This record gives sequence, C-alpha cells and structure tokens, in this order.
Amino acid sequence: MSDEQSIQKDDAEEKEQMERHTKLSIFMHWFNAACWLFLLATGIGLIRNADLQPVGGWWTDMMRGIFGGGANLLLVHEIVGILWTLVFLVYVIAKAKEVVPFLKEVFTIDPKRDVLWLVNKGIQMTLGYKALYKLDGILKGRFGYKPVIPDQGFYNVGQKMFAIPSILGGVVIVVTGAIMTASNVMLENTAPVQWAILIHFLTVGFVFAGLLIHVYMASIAAGERPAFISMFTGKVPQDYAMHHHKLWYDEVREGR
Amino acid sequence: MKTQLAMVVDSSLCIDCKGCMAACKVENKVPEGHWRNWIKNDGVDFSMGETFSRMHFQPGNCMHCDVPTCVHACPTGATYKDEKDGVVKVDERLCIGCGSCIPACPYGARYRHPVKKIVDKCDFCDHRRARGELPACVITCPTKARAFGDINDPDSDVSRMLKDNKTVRVVNRESDTRPNIYYMGATAPLNWPVRAQAPTPIRWWGDWAKQLVWAVVGINALGVLAMLGKQLFVNDPEPGHESDSTDGGKPVETEETDHE
Ligand code: HEM
Ligand code: SF4
Ligand code: SF4
Repeated sequence: MSDEQSIQKDDAEEKEQMERHTKLSIFMHWFNAACWLFLLATGIGLIRNADLQPVGGWWTDMMRGIFGGGANLLLVHEIVGILWTLVFLVYVIAKAKEVVPFLKEVFTIDPKRDVLWLVNKGIQMTLGYKALYKLDGILKGRFGYKPVIPDQGFYNVGQKMFAIPSILGGVVIVVTGAIMTASNVMLENTAPVQWAILIHFLTVGFVFAGLLIHVYMASIAAGERPAFISMFTGKVPQDYAMHHHKLWYDEVREGR
Repeated sequence: MKTQLAMVVDSSLCIDCKGCMAACKVENKVPEGHWRNWIKNDGVDFSMGETFSRMHFQPGNCMHCDVPTCVHACPTGATYKDEKDGVVKVDERLCIGCGSCIPACPYGARYRHPVKKIVDKCDFCDHRRARGELPACVITCPTKARAFGDINDPDSDVSRMLKDNKTVRVVNRESDTRPNIYYMGATAPLNWPVRAQAPTPIRWWGDWAKQLVWAVVGINALGVLAMLGKQLFVNDPEPGHESDSTDGGKPVETEETDHE
C-alpha cells in the first residue's frame, strides 16, 4: 500500500496523530543531548597532553580561553556531569513506570528479523534499492535472505543499536566520571583512577561515533522528518507510524 | 633567553645536617612521611681505614627538567612547565590526583598528598620567590652547598659557577630528562634515578586508544557521508512506487507480519 492510495482512501484517518513521546521524555532527551554535547566539548578541552588529545591543542586552548583556565573548565565539567547524573537518577527512580517499558523495548531484539533489517536498510540507505535485488540475485535465497526491509516496532533495530550503547555507555561514563571526581576528594588508590580516565575516554568516543549516525538519521535522513518533529510535539502522523514502525502501529491499533 | 631557574650544588660541601629538609618541610607544610627534597649518600667508604672513613652526600629535589617526563604523563596539564621561570609546577585545582605523573619522574620527586589527595612536589618555593626571597632550602643551608638562580642570565651566580666549573647532572640513561640541578665537579651516588614510565592506561591511550576512537568515528562518518551522498545525488525510487520520494523504512515487498 502506498502513500497516495492510503491518503486518498481515508485522508482524515491517516493524518491523525499518534502519541509517541511524553512531554517529560522529550525534555529528558533534549536535556541529555545538551549535557552530552557540553560535556563532550569541555571534556576534550580537559586533555592537555598532546599524545592523548584527539582533536588538537587548539581545542584545549580555546576551551580554557572560554572558561578562564583549566581549573575552571574542570570545575564546570564536574558540575554539569553531576547535574546530568542526578537529574537522570531522579527521573529513573521517580518515573520507573515510563523508564522500564522504554528499556524493555530498547533491549528487546528479534535476531532474524533485525539482522535482515540492518543489512538491507544499510544497503538501501547507501547503495539504493537496486542493490538489494542484485544481492538477492547473488544469494538466491541462501541464509534465508530476502530483499525486504522487515517491519519494525516502536524503535527499529538501528535505533536500538544506538540506544543500547548510549544507555550502557552512559552508565560507564557516569561511574568512571564519579571515580575521577572522587579521586582528589576521598580515594587512596590511584590505579582505578588511571583506568577510569582511559575507559571514560574510550566510552565517550564510541558513543560519539554512534551519535553521528543518530543525528544524521534523526535530523537529515529522508522520510524521518516526522520523528524529528515528534521530539518536540510528542506526536507522529499515523501514516508515518504505519510505514516506519508497523509493529508498533498494529499493536496500538489492536488496542494493546 | 627565557628564564630557567636552576640549582648548582656543591655536594662536597654537604654535611648531611638535613637543615634543607627540615626547612622545606616546615615552609611547605609537607605531611608526615613525605619529603619534597632529600639528601642521598653513597654509603660509608672504609677503604682508607676506619679513621679516614668517608661518605659523600648529595642534596636534591625536583630538578625542574627541560624534558619533564612528569608533564608528559599528566593528562590534564595540571603539571606544567611554567614559561615564565622554567619551574615545573602543579595546578592544585586542575590536578585530579590520578598519580600518573608519579612513576613518570626518574627522581621520585613527586608524592600524592595524603590529605589534599593531589600531587605535590618542590616548586622552588613559589610563594617565597613571589616575595623576593630565596627558596627555604637555599637560605637555610649552613655550608651554602645549594646555589640558586637563572642559568640563562649570564650575570647570575649560577651561570658563572657553571662557566667556571666542570659540572655533572644525575640522569638515568634511559630517561634523560635534562634536569636543572647541576653538581659541581663530581657527585655520588649516580645510579639511583629510575626509568620514567607513565602508568599502563595512560600509555595505552596514546599508543592505540586514541587511534581506535578515531577509526570508529571515521567509519561512522564515512557511513553518514555515504548516506548523505546517496540522499542528495541518487534518485532511488522505491520499487512499486511511482513517486521519486526516497522515503526510507518501507517494506520493499509487502511482507506478512506475524503478530504475537
Ligand atoms: C543533538 C542532536 C540530537 C538530535 C537531533 C536527536 C534526535 C532524536 C530524535 C528525533 C529521536 C526520536 C526518534 C523516534 O522518535 O523514533 C531521538 C531519540 C533518541 N535519542 Fe536523540 N538526538 C540528539 C542527541 C542525542 C544524544 C546526544 C543522545 C545520547 C547520547 C541521544 C539519545 C537518544 C536515544 C537513546 C533515543 C531513543 C532511541 C533512538 O532513537 O535511538 N540523542 N533523538
Ligand atoms: S625531577 Fe621529576 S618531577 Fe621534577 S621536573 Fe623532572 S621529571 Fe618532573
Ligand atoms: S596527579 Fe599528576 S598526572 Fe594526575 S592530574 Fe595531578 S599532576 Fe596530572
């Protein structure tokens, strides 16, 4: 069924909106995004050592210039990091009713369907639909391959592949950050602190790599505009939901 | 030329009175069990008989090196070489107390302050010099074994001493940090500095972790560029679709979905 047909068939119904995000979860997303980017910029600015600095000394100079020296930069990085952690702690505890289903959704994977989705969606987004048929011609049904982009639920597996590392990564970043912050307050042993520095850096780097795809998909990729708008309004049009998150659409339709 | 504060020590004058150590400890409130400076010795030499036994004493402290391996090990830049006076300092507010710099000093000049939980070491008495006074150890020494000044100023005492005398520096062959304490004539012991080495996580960061992060970020960036290029320049209509919208995420073929 294509857009045009469905719109002709029942314009009013198809343009109806579906609730996708609560006001609070929208706030938490943008609060997280703002904290993340701020902590990323200031965190990279905390690395003075040229061997370790991934961007270059100019970034360190610029950040220290803006915040009036390395010591102040460290202080704001720690304050915003603690704020980020506390707000999330309160959210997760107070709104467990909202958070637990979100985590369940994000961590539920349907391997056969999702691997096919990842392969085919990846090919479609870079090489195009024709490449799917070429691949089908080569594989001739081996490995259970079909040139289809399987239906997905509330989040597609691409979104889950970003959400999972960013949630687990977030926990690792918070824990290692806390170890470093505690280091010059109460820790006696420095070995965990030194490891925390390395793990903090690596984890931020990996989540940042995923963030490139996330931001592209969410704000530039064709056809994803309604999802972007939903991150402000909380709603998506039904036809969008049907095309992009068919399993979720069906579930809501069946009133489950 | 830039100022480089340094010490020229005549270790043959040192009588091991430990005045410099006591003065430093009081002046800089160095906590129990730790010292910012030291006096090494080469052990008693009985080769001339008991009556003529001798021992050589060697006063020292942070050498404010020209190639400070401690600065190189510090991730944050809390340990830095001050351009103004050539002194290697610790910014107490920027130090996270990770201790990475401690094994990176061949001379064991650094310790982690048990109360402040940050690193501490000799700063040539920054606060005294700000008042125009000499470092506490220099002023205290009864035999004037420690001379102090700017070796890049040709008129300073230390420059003249360096010009008129043969001097040596105590270095570990594997980690020559170009220290700024010079010993007049000869000194002993010489074999005590260790090889400077940053802890494993800091070395791994520079050796491969930074490169790995760049590789992963680079691969994802290429992926984004590939998607963007296709979106902008390739007309890729969905099969079975008349419009040329590149609306993604639709089944290419209608697929029966199994409902749980
Ligand atoms: C600053 C630019 C960002 C933009 C434009 C953006 C946009 C979006 C949009 C539109 C959605 C909703 C997707 C949907 O409803 O299907 C979303 C979801 C999400 N965002 Fe972001 N986001 C940004 C930054 C971040 C950051 C920094 C993180 C975490 C480190 C993050 C984590 C998530 C997660 C976990 C979800 C839910 C699952 C998913 O879509 O993968 N976002 N984002
Ligand atoms: S003596 Fe040690 S602490 Fe002092 S500057 Fe040299 S390497 Fe750094
Ligand atoms: S402990 Fe040493 S290496 Fe760590 S931040 Fe402080 S000065 Fe730098």
